[in-house]
Amino acid sequence: MPVKEQHDYALTVDNLEVEFDTYGGTVHAVRDVSFGLRRGKTLAIVGESGCGKSVTVQALMGLIPMPPGRITGGSARLRSAGSGPAGSGPAGSGATELIGLRERELNRIRGNRIGMIFQDPMTSLNPTMRIGDQIVETLRVHRGMSIREGFKEAERLLDRVRISEARERARQYPFEFSGGMLQRVMIAVALACSPEVLIADEPTTALDVTIQAQILDLMQALQREEGMSIILITHDLGVVARMADDVAVMYAGQIVESGSVEAIFHRGGHPYTLGLRRATPSNDPENRQQLEPIEGSPPDLFHPPVGCGYFARCPHAMQICEGSMPDPFDLHQPSAAAEGIRHSARCWLQHAQAPRTAGLNQNDAGREEP
Amino acid sequence: MWRYTLRRLIQGVITVWFIATATFAAMHMVPGDPLGSERATTESIRQNLEARYGLDKPVFPDQYLIFLGSMARGDFGISFTQQNRSVNDIIREAFPVSAQLGLLAVLFAALGGVLLGALTAINRNRLPDVIIMFLVILGISIPSFVFAALGQLAVVRLNDWSGQSLLPVAGWGTFQHMLLPALVLGLGTMAFLTRLMRSSMLEVVNTDYVRTARAKGVPPLRVFWRHQLRNAVLPVITVLGPAIAAITTGGFVVELVFAIPGLGRTFVEAVQQLDYTLIMGTTVFYGAFLVLMVILVDLIYGWVDPRVRLS
Repeated sequence: MPVKEQHDYALTVDNLEVEFDTYGGTVHAVRDVSFGLRRGKTLAIVGESGCGKSVTVQALMGLIPMPPGRITGGSARLRSAGSGPAGSGPAGSGATELIGLRERELNRIRGNRIGMIFQDPMTSLNPTMRIGDQIVETLRVHRGMSIREGFKEAERLLDRVRISEARERARQYPFEFSGGMLQRVMIAVALACSPEVLIADEPTTALDVTIQAQILDLMQALQREEGMSIILITHDLGVVARMADDVAVMYAGQIVESGSVEAIFHRGGHPYTLGLRRATPSNDPENRQQLEPIEGSPPDLFHPPVGCGYFARCPHAMQICEGSMPDPFDLHQPSAAAEGIRHSARCWLQHAQAPRTAGLNQNDAGREEP
Repeated sequence: MWRYTLRRLIQGVITVWFIATATFAAMHMVPGDPLGSERATTESIRQNLEARYGLDKPVFPDQYLIFLGSMARGDFGISFTQQNRSVNDIIREAFPVSAQLGLLAVLFAALGGVLLGALTAINRNRLPDVIIMFLVILGISIPSFVFAALGQLAVVRLNDWSGQSLLPVAGWGTFQHMLLPALVLGLGTMAFLTRLMRSSMLEVVNTDYVRTARAKGVPPLRVFWRHQLRNAVLPVITVLGPAIAAITTGGFVVELVFAIPGLGRTFVEAVQQLDYTLIMGTTVFYGAFLVLMVILVDLIYGWVDPRVRLS
């Protein structure tokens, strides 16, 4: 029985494939991506720019411009609470398939059951609409509230995201707010209908450091209060360590390793995960290390490699890596079974016959599997 | 807001004074005078007339100051060429005609431009876009009197073909008389606004806030109205002031071609006959009108775009 079934998932994604047609050819932006978002938990998707993080979540939300974009395969199921563990049945039994959904049906889910916030709050709100109206819009569309009712609710929501003088603020325009305040407003907009899932696409990247911390704290507090599940897209491992329960590491359009935050930080099983860790600056005076950038650059996704995408940059690359990409190897430790999601890595070094590699977690449990 | 309006009005008055002075100077520099050559007059009659109209005094400062004084009182005096009619009367009679024509043309240009611009942007690089943008280039590059003649020809052919009088070819009186000249008058501006609206719309479609609206589950039609159109129309409103000016001055030619008894035709005739008072009256009136329109458009812009309103 797959480990996946042990958890109550709010959202599961299986074998998602996204392509873009460009003048230069077809870009395979997302390749065979699968992950599960545990209910009430935070899943961080990390990876460098252009690895397909944002495209993945935009595909779930139907926000990819088509054309040139195209979802060529896979499924994403939104599971309502109490619908039983994942895998207990296909799309039925309280699960909604998001991929291929028509615009009308998608619009009943977006903003209602899934909220989303974006990287740059300064440009993500309509400059000619009052803040209150933009919150009310969500409530009107999904709840059919009157403007008067909606405005009351908007004021309450602004209060919840810690914006003082909500009454006056609701009647102001975006240009009268600072970036951090606007991101709070975005969170209020996204949470207006108490969605089960909040997708945050690099929510703090455009903000300065002190404001970043405030926004992250706010998201954590609201998650405790509302019990929503969060997908957090980021390239900042500091944010991951602070926020995430589970982590998926993406590289060249694929998820190369996933597991609990402890597993990813302390028992990394993929050379790219280790590379990311070594390329992250540390503030710890005891543990000052030279930063080690990862040499080279990601592969050309016009012609994605047949084998491992990391092959050309990997210090431990073997012959087999060039020709084929392995399925995920299970790295799960029985002692950690209760905590987090299944720890797995797509790397041939996890194969039973692979050589031992310093610094890499090569689980013995994994060695027994083929 | 009120202080802003007041400041703009004072600036406007200065502008109008400048226009009036420049026109006054230019008019008196032109050789000839309003009393010349019409018919043989004796020296004494001529002196009498000059005294009656104040032309015996030196142009500067006497005539100029008299003119400024009466202009300040809103009285432009008696026309030289149209017997016993004051310039104010002539303007009062001719302006509503021009205003109706201009209003219809502006309406036509603005609505058509916004609509076609949005339409082409949505169908970018598809057939409707390609066809309309080709026509737009024609609309911008062909002058209005060519369109006027072509339009008249088309109407004549249409009437012949249908065997009845669908549209009048020229003249003034009914709403049908207005349609063709308003279309011709607005065409160039409409083409220009279509281009502007198209590029503005294409910019707005890819903005983050439109993506946010879609992520909120807002239905497509509402996204179009509330988020795209409203923001895309801002640059169009900005150029509406100059557009009104273009249409008003364009009216000079169109009124002549269609034999419309508007202020534009009056102005052209006044210049040809060097009717001093009528030239000054129409120029100052037009100047004041345009300045007012530009101020009005700026105020409307502030109402549509809150960022301007409050800064």
